[in-house]
Amino acid sequence: MNKIYDFLRSVKLALILFISILISCVTGVMFFPDQQAKAMIFSSLWFNSLLILLVVNIGFCFFSRVWRRKITPVSLGMILFHLSFVLIFAGIVYNSLFYFNGAIRLSEGETLSNTVPQSYDLAEWGRFFNHARLKGDTTLVKLHTHYKVNSADKGVANQILVGDGNDKKEGFVYITNHMDYNGFRYFRDRDGFSLLIILYDKHGRERYGAFVPLQSLKQKDGTYLYTSGTAVRSGSFPFPQDPLKPLLNLQISYSPDPQKERAGHVYFQVWPFREGHHVQGEKIIAKGEAALREKFTAGDYFLSVHEVRYWASMNVRYDPGLLIILTSFWIGLGGMILTTIARLARSRKRQDTG
Amino acid sequence: MNPEFLFFWTAVIFYGISTLCYIIGLVSRKEKFFSVGALLAFIGVIPHIASVALRWIEGGVLPFIEVSESITAGVMVAMIVFLIVQSSVKRIKAIGIFILPVNFILLSWAGTLMKEISGQLPASLQSYWLWVHIIAASTGFSLVLIAAGMGLLFLLKEKYSKGFYEKLPELSRLDDLSYRYVAGGFIMLGVMIISGAFWSNQVKGSYWNWDSVEVWSLVCWLVYGIYLHLRITIGWRNRKLAWYALLSLLVMVVSYWGIPFVAENFHTGFRIEH
Repeated sequence: MNKIYDFLRSVKLALILFISILISCVTGVMFFPDQQAKAMIFSSLWFNSLLILLVVNIGFCFFSRVWRRKITPVSLGMILFHLSFVLIFAGIVYNSLFYFNGAIRLSEGETLSNTVPQSYDLAEWGRFFNHARLKGDTTLVKLHTHYKVNSADKGVANQILVGDGNDKKEGFVYITNHMDYNGFRYFRDRDGFSLLIILYDKHGRERYGAFVPLQSLKQKDGTYLYTSGTAVRSGSFPFPQDPLKPLLNLQISYSPDPQKERAGHVYFQVWPFREGHHVQGEKIIAKGEAALREKFTAGDYFLSVHEVRYWASMNVRYDPGLLIILTSFWIGLGGMILTTIARLARSRKRQDTG
Repeated sequence: MNPEFLFFWTAVIFYGISTLCYIIGLVSRKEKFFSVGALLAFIGVIPHIASVALRWIEGGVLPFIEVSESITAGVMVAMIVFLIVQSSVKRIKAIGIFILPVNFILLSWAGTLMKEISGQLPASLQSYWLWVHIIAASTGFSLVLIAAGMGLLFLLKEKYSKGFYEKLPELSRLDDLSYRYVAGGFIMLGVMIISGAFWSNQVKGSYWNWDSVEVWSLVCWLVYGIYLHLRITIGWRNRKLAWYALLSLLVMVVSYWGIPFVAENFHTGFRIEH
């Protein structure tokens, strides 16, 4: 037992851990891109074990030296500094058990329930997160571009309405400003265009209409292609969608007007829809460009884009351990300052008396 | 040439001549060259501050966004701290033999990277935490630069004894001074990391994302944390720590201006993806 205790409180172990973490960090940032480094090193079990062992070592190493000893400004500063590591670790563990992190995506005017898992593109939570905490719903009222605060351009701002019944809160979420509702924080993440596509029959009667969110694919020259498809490439989708039976396979790209907001041209590509068949094997029915509200002929049907709206994706976060972690940073800093000042004062006193 | 560039290159020239004076003083072992070098450095700081101020006024944006701006402002703070240390700590005129060449090289490098003034501060950087972050980062760099300078003086005084070396403080005093500046730098690096974490929390909702700039700043902090542990807990002193302070500065320079130069993240214009 004593051997384990001596091992855990050894300064040599602290230095070995410091150096191991240092080497791992340098390797991670020098030889791998950010995401790969995160997956291979910073999120790995062995690296996090090193961090945990360091915190345990700091706890043992330091408190075994100050236990039952006289508290001086130097030792108090050191206690606070080292205690902050233990508190940060405790905050991280506590947070990992109770957190919630979801990505909610809405088009302007759309409302989604906060309580339903289907409302989130991605959602993860801690083992003890209480789902009853998720209440009410979220509405994206409007997306503002070039949103100004005290004449400073804050870029894109999401005007959102969050809450339950009469307890609703409205606010603007932009890059340096989140909105807090019952401990859940809304952060801006992504945005894009959403087009209202109308299908007409050959007599010009409206058959169907739906908002279709577009992907924003970054091109080599830094510009964006706004198109249907997946997050990595453009592609087609069956149209109309549920609950109607699909009639066409449709691929659309949107070219925004650089001068006028919510205006521009749409490029259509249309294939016949056949269950189980991919568009690659089909002969294209029609392709071409149309302005907003202009009808585009697609075989026996007409298509048109009636309206351009924005969609916005926001991160919804509940981090109950955050306060502990952020407060611990200041405790650690306070400890550093206290111990440094006390050491300087002590050495000056020694010089004066010596 | 516009006034900003004129002031900038004037500062570079003064620092260059000052560096030359320090080198001549080092080779001839005559302290009077250090006094001339310090005077030229003082004169050089004036157009240096003017160039930063002009860029700030013209662009209306804090000139710390581009790598060249970051180096220019960082070197400016380092020069101001150097002049304060020169006037407040006795018998260390020779410290310029390290500080001036480093700052001269860094500022000349910044000159080769200079771009037109950014039109507007990116929305993600419009945060008060940015101020704390910048001040802490540049002060932290200045302090560990001085510490490395003290380390170099220690190593030189240990090896040579004639000429200006006689006038330098005792070895133990140099060792202690180096330690003090490392301790100060360690605190400022801590403030830099904490303000960066608060900034990240404000923008992304997470205080730490393990991106390359964050990890490098942690590496710097750990490097100086190890220095303090080696001194306080293990009992290292003198030559070993002097070398350690000198070599650690390389990590600082790489971390501050090498990594943000190649990595795409907050410091090179963080933007929200569509």
